Amino acid sequence: MASNPFFSREFPSSLEAMPEVLGHALTVLADRHWIDPGHEFSARLCLEEAMVNAVTHGNKCNHARRVRVEMAEEGDLCHISIFDEGHGFNPDCVPPPDTVHTGGRGLCLIKHYMERVRFDDAGNRLEMWLRRCHTQPAGGQSA
Amino acid sequence: MSTQPPINFVQEGSITVGTIATTSVLDALNVSAFGQCALEYVRDKPGLNLLLNFEHVTYLSSAVLSELIRINDAVTKGGGAVRLCALEENLQEVFKITNLDQVFVIYGPAKDAVKRYERSIKLNEQEESWQRFSKEE
Repeated sequence: MASNPFFSREFPSSLEAMPEVLGHALTVLADRHWIDPGHEFSARLCLEEAMVNAVTHGNKCNHARRVRVEMAEEGDLCHISIFDEGHGFNPDCVPPPDTVHTGGRGLCLIKHYMERVRFDDAGNRLEMWLRRCHTQPAGGQSA
Repeated sequence: MSTQPPINFVQEGSITVGTIATTSVLDALNVSAFGQCALEYVRDKPGLNLLLNFEHVTYLSSAVLSELIRINDAVTKGGGAVRLCALEENLQEVFKITNLDQVFVIYGPAKDAVKRYERSIKLNEQEESWQRFSKEE
């Protein structure tokens, strides 16, 4: 669990419940100057991919299971954690995306856009680190 | 909830232009409607030259890429082809990161894309004709 998160929300495992939390997370990231308003494309993509994976692959869309999103500041990086209540998976078993198969691209995109990506040993917590956008003054943040 | 179809198909010469009408996003919630709409349209249309126009699209997730691969498979099995146009910079980058720029020919603005697609088809036809002629000689 991230220490002293500035954002912590849970939602049931349904794609319908996800956009509200996603939108709120992006608003908070913009308010705290982690992303530029209007330039949230990659942050939105990574959050959505991670949340969709937690809902569909982790919790198998079981509404009784929850997905938790936490964000905490670590210097110039925002530590984002997505927890699911599934049985976990081995990220090393996810093949890199090719030009034929339909899966595996979400993780590839997260790895590209985020500063760092890590899975816990159980495989049901994805951690990713977002670097603060360059156009905002470092350390500038709102309550 | 809007009943607007996610893709509007219009025939322009030999090219079928599918303009993605989802004005804001192609996210996890509306992607299956997008895929179903496209797959239903391309079914039983052999030799379809489909140009998917992304000029209204500002966001897409990896789920859209999976749908595009399914659409491409369905069209190419029928002897046709799928090409894309008018992707903004962020979207082009997603295709590049995931190597799908090697699968899809991506044109620039929609107004030029139809002409370029038609020219490409003519060049292919000429090439095939030339190859047949060479074999016959």
